Amino acid sequence: MNKTVLTWLEYMARIKPGKTAYIDEKNALSFEEVLKKARSVGTYLIKKELSSGPVAVMTERSVDYIAVFLGIVYAGHAYAPVGGDIPDERREKILKRLDPVYIFTGDELKAAFDTAEDEELLSEVRKNCSVTDPLYIIFTSGSSGDPKGVITSHLSLMNYIEAYTSVMGIGEEDVMAAQSPLDYIAAIRDIYVPLLTGASDVLIPKEYFMQPDVLFSYMNEMKISAIGWSTSAMTVLSKLGAFKENRPESVRKVCFSGSVMQGSVLKEWQEALPEALFVNQYGPTEATASCTYHKIDHPVESDEIIPIGIPYDNYRIFLISEDGKSVPAGEEGEIAVSGVGVTNGYINDPERTKAAFMQNPLNNSFEERIYKTGDIGVIREDGILMYHGRRDRQIKYMGHRVELDEIESAAASLGIIGSAALYDEEKELLWLFYSGETTVRELSIGLRKILPGFMVPRKIKNLPEMPKLPNGKTDIRYLRSMINCK
Amino acid sequence: MREKILEILTEVRPDIDFENETELVSGNILESFDIVQIVAELDDEFDIEISPKDLVAENFNSLEALEDLIERLQDE
Repeated sequence: MNKTVLTWLEYMARIKPGKTAYIDEKNALSFEEVLKKARSVGTYLIKKELSSGPVAVMTERSVDYIAVFLGIVYAGHAYAPVGGDIPDERREKILKRLDPVYIFTGDELKAAFDTAEDEELLSEVRKNCSVTDPLYIIFTSGSSGDPKGVITSHLSLMNYIEAYTSVMGIGEEDVMAAQSPLDYIAAIRDIYVPLLTGASDVLIPKEYFMQPDVLFSYMNEMKISAIGWSTSAMTVLSKLGAFKENRPESVRKVCFSGSVMQGSVLKEWQEALPEALFVNQYGPTEATASCTYHKIDHPVESDEIIPIGIPYDNYRIFLISEDGKSVPAGEEGEIAVSGVGVTNGYINDPERTKAAFMQNPLNNSFEERIYKTGDIGVIREDGILMYHGRRDRQIKYMGHRVELDEIESAAASLGIIGSAALYDEEKELLWLFYSGETTVRELSIGLRKILPGFMVPRKIKNLPEMPKLPNGKTDIRYLRSMINCK
Repeated sequence: MREKILEILTEVRPDIDFENETELVSGNILESFDIVQIVAELDDEFDIEISPKDLVAENFNSLEALEDLIERLQDE
């Protein structure tokens, strides 16, 4: 096996130096340019003589930041992308938990790229690199309002990218369109598939996803052939009637993940792109983005439930009952993952790591680390995994993982005690009920300072008082009935 | 009409100053799922059909632009 992702980059820069790797609104970088920039950033950082540990990057949506990520790897560190647009309070929490040895900001891009690469310094660092080294740390929602930083190794990432690429059949001739921000887990496909395959990747401006015609025309102009998008981005486009007069006509490979795909939405996409392969993908950040996939092999019906499928290469999926036993086919259990895709846990967080990453309770003979997803599933007789929701209060909202507790704890930090966050799955609306003097506007603005935008409920209701059950708990059923939701 | 549009917008995003903002879409102030909700409610309220070709930044960047768009669609 290749040693690290840098081996992929170097190989591609050697065999396809001039081919475009990444494109954004303003710039394009060839594989050779990515290599050169990354090695310059690597040299720049090595010269700082940092101690070992992760480097945080204040990330913007630009191809330059991909070169920065790889440069950090050249310097022998794991990178932790932190979105430039997240609320200050959340950024502070992330940085506190991450405890980076260095924070790379946009101000030093030029200085870093202008640094002359030093072969000797770079190869010295390289000698000590291993495929099991952490590659990146990506933060995800945590129920206490404290984000968790998932550490992933080169090995896990490379295995996933190889498996994904082979399922989707992505090759050098493909042009991919990136939808995810660079600090999200989904971006790893957009970053690393080109390095393995020689495909090109176009970073689509975020605002195009609100303007379907603009988006599709741009995709057609760029001849986009493969997309790996969040289910919610595809759902938004279908709800906006995107296919009425236009379609992304060169797209032939579509992978979607992040939340449950409605049959009605997939049907519209299939009808718009009858020649395309559609693949449903499932899995958490903790299992290196995804662990199962399902190729859709027929035109779906509007009410069809799409399976989450079978494991990718080198992943094993099984179900565990509440008392830690194995679960027979056709019965519900918690989805657990083992294999190369299981990541290295949460950074500087042994407690929460221990709660989710553990020895396989079904294996008494040797060490086998698993990750318990908290998702409920059923493995059918034919071996295909179906998704059956969750037991806790984690929901998927517009493709993002959201802990309802985290919203309530953000409200509590604004002095609002006993609020209740609810999710109306049918209408895809996030609600927050509360009582007190604070106005809806004040609360909404306050929440925006703590939570990422997608987590701030678009429906906030101030009640004279919260409905209570005889035991003093909030009457959630009553609140649900108020918004006509099951 | 202005008042009604403002009410719909504010319900979805109470944190935004819609009377003064002029880059709602091109400045990424609104998110894509805000647009879905806003379009559905405007379609309902004003009995219009905002189609994909209308969904461009120029029509959604400000309250005034939205007002113009809705008037145009009502005249059609």
